[in-house]
Amino acid sequence: MTTINLNGAAPSVDESHVEETGHAPLLEVRDLSVTFHTPRGSVRAVRHASFTVHRGEVLGLVGESGCGKSTVAFATMRYLPTTAEVGGEIRFEGRDLNSMSSAELQSIRGDRIAMVYQDPGSALNPSIRVGLQIEEVLHAHRSMSRQEAQERVAELFESVGLPNPARIGQRYPHELSGGQQQRVVIAMALACEPDLLLMDEPTTGLDVTTEATILDLISELKDRVNAGIIFVSHNLGVIARVADRVAVMYAGQVIEEAPVRDLFSNPSHPYTAGLLSCVPAPVTGDGAVPLLRNIPGSVYPASAPNVDACLFADRCPIVQDICREQAPPEIVGASEGHPARCFFPERVNASIWGDPEPRRRRRREVGGTPLLSVDALHQYYGTDRKKFIFFGPPARRPVRANVDVDFEIGAGRTLGIVGESGSGKSTAARSIAGLERRTSGEVLLEGEPLARDVADRTDDQRAKIRMVFQNPAASLNPQLPIGHALVRSIRQARGLGRREARRNARALLDAVGLGGEYMERRPRELSGGQQQRVALAAAFAADPDLVIADEAVSALDVSVQAQVLNLITARQQREGTAFMFITHDLGVVRYISDDILVMYGGYVVETGPAETVLAPPWSPYTEALLSAAPIPDPDAEPSRIRLEGAVPTLRQPFKGCPFADRCPRNLGDLCDNTPPPMRVDPANEHHKILCHIPLEELAIEQRKAIETREKLVRR
Amino acid sequence: MATATIDQNQPSPLSEAARTGRRFLRSIRRELRYAMATTSGRIGLPLVTFYILLALVGPWLAPYSPTEFHLADRFAGPSTTYFLGTDEFGRDIFSRVLSGATSIIGVSVAGTVLGLLLGTLVGLTMGYVGGKVDEIVMRLMDGLMSFPSLLLALLVLTTLGSSHINIVITIGVVFMPSVARVLRSATLSIKTMEFVQSARIRGEPALYIVFREILPNTMPVLTVEASVRLSYAILLASSLGFLGLGVQPPSSDWGLMISEGRSHIADSPLIVLSPAFAVSTLVIGVNLLAEGLREARELPKED
Repeated sequence: MTTINLNGAAPSVDESHVEETGHAPLLEVRDLSVTFHTPRGSVRAVRHASFTVHRGEVLGLVGESGCGKSTVAFATMRYLPTTAEVGGEIRFEGRDLNSMSSAELQSIRGDRIAMVYQDPGSALNPSIRVGLQIEEVLHAHRSMSRQEAQERVAELFESVGLPNPARIGQRYPHELSGGQQQRVVIAMALACEPDLLLMDEPTTGLDVTTEATILDLISELKDRVNAGIIFVSHNLGVIARVADRVAVMYAGQVIEEAPVRDLFSNPSHPYTAGLLSCVPAPVTGDGAVPLLRNIPGSVYPASAPNVDACLFADRCPIVQDICREQAPPEIVGASEGHPARCFFPERVNASIWGDPEPRRRRRREVGGTPLLSVDALHQYYGTDRKKFIFFGPPARRPVRANVDVDFEIGAGRTLGIVGESGSGKSTAARSIAGLERRTSGEVLLEGEPLARDVADRTDDQRAKIRMVFQNPAASLNPQLPIGHALVRSIRQARGLGRREARRNARALLDAVGLGGEYMERRPRELSGGQQQRVALAAAFAADPDLVIADEAVSALDVSVQAQVLNLITARQQREGTAFMFITHDLGVVRYISDDILVMYGGYVVETGPAETVLAPPWSPYTEALLSAAPIPDPDAEPSRIRLEGAVPTLRQPFKGCPFADRCPRNLGDLCDNTPPPMRVDPANEHHKILCHIPLEELAIEQRKAIETREKLVRR
Repeated sequence: MATATIDQNQPSPLSEAARTGRRFLRSIRRELRYAMATTSGRIGLPLVTFYILLALVGPWLAPYSPTEFHLADRFAGPSTTYFLGTDEFGRDIFSRVLSGATSIIGVSVAGTVLGLLLGTLVGLTMGYVGGKVDEIVMRLMDGLMSFPSLLLALLVLTTLGSSHINIVITIGVVFMPSVARVLRSATLSIKTMEFVQSARIRGEPALYIVFREILPNTMPVLTVEASVRLSYAILLASSLGFLGLGVQPPSSDWGLMISEGRSHIADSPLIVLSPAFAVSTLVIGVNLLAEGLREARELPKED
């Protein structure tokens, strides 16, 4: 039985109930508020959040950036700076953590309550062997002998699936891959068999394939250890995969809490419903792409005071007068144990966010010269010559970031480039944009060769290719007004006067949904999504034929991501702009791409029209990538292909196939030692796969794998 | 090229310069406002402001001329006539301290500004250009930096002769390499940022990128560096005065006053203590301000 109270003040009924049952829940957070007092005003990171966690369950804490989910986790550990004012109660097995002395806390932290951090690279001390770091924890809390501790560490390493558990403790963090580092951090958290495990975005910094293996580990752990787990994430797909119950946070409040299936199938708060409908859905069979819904406006700011009203009212599609006049009470939603902070939970469903309408038909292949064609692009960093002739560091082999990359982008089409970090996708983009001087290869724009350096290209060529970057905050000069980049772009590309250019810039801002009054604002006054829209407007300012978007939506929250994706597709439809869309998010690629290029280790491993790449035959790497992607549906059976190891360092040229050492379909000697051929799909001449296995065979094997999986699900 | 059409609409260089100046002042004001949010800044900034005002109006506030001899009142103790007493020639110490502020603050501020200008120019361009040129120029800077600053200053001043201008030039040259280093590393990190890449893709000329896109973003680093440099400049200028290479007697200079009063320290400690107190509080004030500016950078930025 869960006792959840979303409404701040705790009614006495709840308390007596807890006493009656005889044992307190593992963790009970009541009316928690965290305010950071800074010289520039107060930041209300958490406003009266309440929830409980029981033994053996995973509570998913989900929300967009700035909703206070990580602060809740840190408050539970009492890891907050002195500027934080903490209100409310955090009861761990009935004892209030807020009133504990720091010595008591010290003995609980790492022992009874342990935390897994987002970035394993900074959670581990880079100058101490990983085994020793865990021994230290055991030493501090368990006073074990050296020998015992070492044995325990090996045991822990085995339980988190690290290879060679007896020896791997001798390594330093930098000798491990990101996934292995995170396993070490998890092992450290498990060292003292904690009762409560806090996981703060533990897979966010990892590649999808690695993320999938870590999620497997976590869902296996929850059955094995008898601990309560709080799993903080912004990713609904990840939450659906591991959580038993989910608490959705908005503006520092828990606005809905429900068992995971209930939440996904029957959201009772408009915000939750909105979040779920923002996630890009796969394209339907007839090629029509549904319009993405988005949540307009921006998050209730943390600097704003607490008000007696619904904090979501300004963005809510079903808002009534009462929502602005008083704070909504806790209401039991669709079923028992499913409270939502809304006056009208029964009115909530996906359609309140607008009906999905077919937005466009996919463009069919058009003949003629492609807009951009890339032929045998090579990009190596560094040479094997010494920096100085007689002294200096010894020469290293160059990093082969792109090897023999070929592709084309047709006018008005979108090419999605996917791959894990280190696959060379951003390098390819930067070479084409002329930000990196390519080592060799041809890049043709409408049949004309492009110079290696952007400075050597003609004004006309520069105007035709524009780029949008991942980090919206860094894409705009923080010291200059928003309008600056737009006006410069327009004047450079079209040679207009200042006044004319300003008028055009205003129109561009209007087109991306920001008014002309934004012209004089500074980037820091805008939210991440608004900044990215300005960056897009700046890219569109020159009327480019091709926009290269390098992870342009990766740093954005889902609701904002949807706005940006809609802008991109609207532009494409109206102006016929082609996009080169680089991302590691398969959902986004699936949604936006006409053609897809899959890269691995600097090589193109598969390319072709989207529908052919997304269906068998796949290259074994594409197959693994697709099966690793988390799906925001708790009932989706996770498929079974898991890649171990890490993306190879690119200094050593590959003897055989670049993917050979991680490939689940490795044929042995042939794959390891002979470079694979680029095979052409007989069904579609544009669909090509880099593999030794004949495509017919691949298709048969892969279809078989899908069928067995489906059989398993049915059973 | 589309430059022809752009040119007609180009505003006059003068108004462009005025705008850049205004923006510059505004960003300095912002940095100072942030610094006032820290304790060090709250102490340092008023102290520094006090001394700057003193440098501007000090000579007019002085009850006597700093060079006027009162031979009847040599080595007088503090009294209502002479607040801090008089020195060996009967000159009023209070007046000498007041009027000494102008020269030391003037010289060190001008020297710092020159050093920052030279250093920023070198640091920004080398950081952006990179490659072999950068390698060579920065090694030259390292060479310059390897001289102890006082020794270098002595060398320059003994060859050029001592004058206000020469002291300013000396301080500027001594400071250039370290400012250049700081600015270069700031430029190296800023030039990889996306807005600089966007400017390159737009086809902006290198000079424009360096001065319009990168320079404003070095302001936080630059203000901290300026305040640190200023305190060194004050110390350097007063050391030079003490060594007799700064402002020549009989004009009042704090370093020089300490040097002259040394031999009478037992009889009349105020001759040494007053200018020493002035120098040290000024340097402490500047250091606290520098600390405040640095701390302010760590604070979350306002939205």
